[in-house]
Amino acid sequence: MLKIENLHASVEDRAILKGINLEVKPGEVHAIMGPNGAGKSTMASVIAGNESYEMTEGVIELEGVDLADLAPEERAHQGVFLSFQYPVEIPGVSVTNFIKTAINENRKAKGLGDMPAKDLLKKIREKSALLEIDRKFLSRSLNEGFSGGEKKRNEIFQMAMLEPKLAILDETDSGLDIDALRIVASGVNKLKSKDNAVIIITHYQRLLDYIKPDFVHVLYDGKIVKSGDASLALELEEKGYDWIKELV
Amino acid sequence: MSKYTEDDLREELKTKEYEYGFYTDIESETFKKGLNEDVVRAISKKKNEPQWMTDWRLEAFRVWEQMEEPNWANVTYKKPNFQEIAYYSAPKPKKKLDSLDEVDPDLLETFKKLGISLEEQKRLANVAVDIVVDSVSVATTFKKTLGEKGIIFMPISEAIQEHPELVRKHLGTVVPTTDNFYAALNSAVFSDGSFCYIPKGVRCPMELSTYFRINEGGTGQFERTLVVADKGSYVSYLEGCTAPARDENQLHAAVVELIALDDAEIKYSTVQNWYPGDAEGSGGVFNFVTKRALCETNAKVSWTQVETGSAITWKYPSCILKGNNSVGEFYSIAVTNNYQQADTGTKMIHLGKNTKSTIISKGISAGKSQNSYRGLVHIGARAENARNFSQCDSLLMGNECGAHTFPYIETKNSSAQIEHEATTSKIGEEQLFYCNQRGIDTEKAIALIVNGFSKEVLNKLPMEFAVEAQKLLEISLEGSVG
Amino acid sequence: MELKEKLVASYVAFESGIDIHTDIHEIRTNALRHFEKLGFPSKKLEAWKYTSLNSVLKQDYSLFPDNEIAIELADVKKYFIHDIDTYKIVFIDGKYSSFLSETTHDGMDVCLLSAAFRKPKYKVIIENYFNKIAKQDNLTSLNTAFASEGAFIHIPKNVEVEKPIQIINFTTGAENATMLQPRNLIVVEQNAHVQIIERHQSLTSNSVLTNAVAEIYVDRHATVDYYKIQNDSIHASLVDNVFIEQQSNSVCSVHTFSFGGNITRNNLNFYQKGEHIDSILKGITIIEGKQHVDHNTLVHHIAPNCESHQDYKGIYNERSTGVFNGKVLVNKEAQKTNAYQKNNNILMSNRATINAKPQLEIFADDVKCSHGCTIGQLDSDALFYMQQRGIPKKEARALLMYAFANTVLESVKIPEVKKRITKIIANKLAVNMGFDL
Ligand SMILES: Nc1ncnc2c1ncn2[C@@H]1O[C@H](COP(=O)(O)OP(=O)(O)O)[C@@H](O)[C@H]1O
Ligand SMILES: [Mg+2]
Repeated sequence: MLKIENLHASVEDRAILKGINLEVKPGEVHAIMGPNGAGKSTMASVIAGNESYEMTEGVIELEGVDLADLAPEERAHQGVFLSFQYPVEIPGVSVTNFIKTAINENRKAKGLGDMPAKDLLKKIREKSALLEIDRKFLSRSLNEGFSGGEKKRNEIFQMAMLEPKLAILDETDSGLDIDALRIVASGVNKLKSKDNAVIIITHYQRLLDYIKPDFVHVLYDGKIVKSGDASLALELEEKGYDWIKELV
Repeated sequence: MSKYTEDDLREELKTKEYEYGFYTDIESETFKKGLNEDVVRAISKKKNEPQWMTDWRLEAFRVWEQMEEPNWANVTYKKPNFQEIAYYSAPKPKKKLDSLDEVDPDLLETFKKLGISLEEQKRLANVAVDIVVDSVSVATTFKKTLGEKGIIFMPISEAIQEHPELVRKHLGTVVPTTDNFYAALNSAVFSDGSFCYIPKGVRCPMELSTYFRINEGGTGQFERTLVVADKGSYVSYLEGCTAPARDENQLHAAVVELIALDDAEIKYSTVQNWYPGDAEGSGGVFNFVTKRALCETNAKVSWTQVETGSAITWKYPSCILKGNNSVGEFYSIAVTNNYQQADTGTKMIHLGKNTKSTIISKGISAGKSQNSYRGLVHIGARAENARNFSQCDSLLMGNECGAHTFPYIETKNSSAQIEHEATTSKIGEEQLFYCNQRGIDTEKAIALIVNGFSKEVLNKLPMEFAVEAQKLLEISLEGSVG
Repeated sequence: MELKEKLVASYVAFESGIDIHTDIHEIRTNALRHFEKLGFPSKKLEAWKYTSLNSVLKQDYSLFPDNEIAIELADVKKYFIHDIDTYKIVFIDGKYSSFLSETTHDGMDVCLLSAAFRKPKYKVIIENYFNKIAKQDNLTSLNTAFASEGAFIHIPKNVEVEKPIQIINFTTGAENATMLQPRNLIVVEQNAHVQIIERHQSLTSNSVLTNAVAEIYVDRHATVDYYKIQNDSIHASLVDNVFIEQQSNSVCSVHTFSFGGNITRNNLNFYQKGEHIDSILKGITIIEGKQHVDHNTLVHHIAPNCESHQDYKGIYNERSTGVFNGKVLVNKEAQKTNAYQKNNNILMSNRATINAKPQLEIFADDVKCSHGCTIGQLDSDALFYMQQRGIPKKEARALLMYAFANTVLESVKIPEVKKRITKIIANKLAVNMGFDL
């Protein structure tokens, strides 16, 4: 589904990603781990097409479609979803209005008309129940004054609404208490199918206890320095990142 | 990688033509250009006015002749030549109209293009409409329904005939003929407008609405609106404005007077979409308007305005909070693009005890436009416990426009509590990327963010108007889900 | 004779006492013509809407007081910040007092403008800096026309002045009414650092009108901290016109403490000519009686990536009037400007008046600019809380007022100045407290 080859990216002429190779197949869950500043969020941003980052080399393809020349919204239309590490606030725009706009824009890209209000309402009800989100929450301004946990839950709610092919969850577990973590994880698990894929960026094993990764990759200084199965995460948890630094 | 930037959006905005720029070919009767005492007399005579009205106009004219056009506002333009304007223009088949069926079909077509099908509004929105094209009221719907409650809603020219005592008692009491240059001019030459009276204790069952349209070239529009809400009554009043695209500057100098007697409440909403001129800054309406409300004890007046049109806007809907416990509110969105200039805001004059005012102003500037907020909060020495909260936010799009804030705060009473805040910002890159990531393109994202920015004000508009206002802001509708 | 006519007529006499064959004199003569045309400001001018000088312009001022009255140091010591070592430039009735002063030419110049005008070695500096950023408005032009004496401070590159400089203007009141027009020129070169304390002090109850102008140039990476202590007699009025030009990476702060005086008008103008500049404007005003203090500030952001911070606090008692007219102007080129302006006021009396006009004029889109203005009272809950714990009402109020003003005091870098201000505030509020906040 996702194919990344020799990906290089820089910000303000400073190289951050230095040759990343990654292949994700439908139905798979990949975990990306690594110390702060390794480039995990940068990788997520580059896949999503954030123009603050310059992709200097390499290939990113989703189901054979080259993403490099696509605008961020076009990538979203292709099915890329990024759950932001730091979701932004948009004053005055309610969660509902925002998600409605997003859904209809995605439908428009597929040549479909607006989703009928009835269906939309039903879907909102369903998905907010899945993530145990209070309906009152939906009329608040997007992310404005949300707690860290609320922001993350709202991200996964949007993911549930948009049903992407590839979801990248950037430190979605940080800021969540243990109950919220369980809710978010079970939400992700319910949304998972053999046709979509998930990339989980995290520092900790605890999210991976709930969402079992098929592969674990360690990102360090802009490169994937080690890949393995779920046991690699446990090993990392035990030995810490210094162990990785010694490997390099 | 191609990127849809704010520049692209601005480019696109530029090429979007003014939607209401059509001209209806209705035969009309227009006075010769120019202004002198004889013209004033002729207007008065044309309307078959009583002597007191003629005298009132003449007095205003004499005052006006001595006045100078103000130049303190943050706008620059070529001063109109007041002798090059025709001061009266009326659609010609001018017999009295009692029902819509009698309205000139061309005119009805005009209204359709304006998006205000009268029938439809009648049915759906429960809105009584008075329509002023150029200088004359064309039709007032719903007269009968209103009549049953004792509500008077009619062209002011008719009110002068039918309710002279009411008009005479109130006209010019809030905005005196001598108030300012444009108000004096309006007093001398106004040709029509709306008059509304809500009797004691009556809640007006529907929104009252006036549509203004300048149709004829070379004419000015000087309408006069007078709303009197008697004790304990309530009315919500809407006003909409359009004009066809012309390469000349047309003058609009209206006066609106609101009188809210004890315990009365008036909501006055405006969606102003006069022709703003073209992308090069030629043509467009000069909108020099004086709007003021007088609030007696426990009365409340809310001004809500969405200002998207006009080449020049000079407008400060104000409240004189004379009575104790009276409340004044001002909610405004002003959008300027291309070469538009807006200098708008409000005055809240606190005279009574425990008076309260709220000012929320949102300015959005794009293109080469200049957008200024100018406001005064005045707390008189006897205004114990006066409260004011003001918030003025500006959003800048592009680097060729300007956003300015000129608040004046004057306090003579130690118990006053005043808070004024102003911010200036632009749409954040992160906000745009976030929206893009969810599949929303940049144009839509900007509309969404602008909508959010303006939300506090849009929420204050009556439903029927909010729809039009949002359309004007090029913003997708906020749905009813959630 | 009206003051304007009197001033214009006195010009010939003024010329007889100075060297008129200089470029400077041409500047003066032009300025006089300009003033003659403009006259004194009236309330019709937008910038003077809330302040009228009419009452002070009526006096029959002596324009060039020439009594040489000696002042004993012991009598005026209290007006100095005397518990630390400082340079001092002291004027009595507009004339330099070498007895009270302590100037230097050692590695820098802390001396007199008249000397700088005279001596050839300052010719270049005078040519480059004198009257270059001063506005061409009425009162500044008037000062320029008669500019002959004042402080001249020149700090060369990389010099960190080891002790603060005090500039003090005394008026003896030997004349019935005295008008003074001091002119200061301060040039701080690259990476230099200086602290300046300024005061105007009248010693009798005769009327004084001071129309001061200062030009301050702050070169790249330089730092200037300026403190103005305005606690003059009730018969003294002051128009203080300050023009500050900053270059890249410089920091300049001006703190204005207005407690005394009759009518005080501060025209404080900052022009940011480079990038990464920080301009700080702060003030505390506590006045009573019929005192009138007007802060008129301008921060002109001309280049990108700069900041400005304004914080003005005012407490108005009895029939006093406060004016805050602050303008932030951001040019199209000045992207990434951060400009903050705060003006908070407390009215203690129903006869006091406050007029505020905080303005933003913005032509660049990628900026963060905000202003906030509040008018209110002391927090009555806090007052009650303190009283409940046994603090008498007067002291509790004083404490709250002090806390209110404290955000301004916090950034005062000379401890002795802070102490002095605190003491003046305690006196003002008639409490005997140290305010250890
Ligand atoms: N927008 C940016 N501007 C400048 N530096 C950046 C930016 N984004 C990321 N970086 C730098 O790139 C490196 C990788 O950051 P990031 O991808 O956020 O790491 P991680 O998510 O793995 O903690 C860090 O050194 C960070 O400072
Ligand atoms: Mg990260």
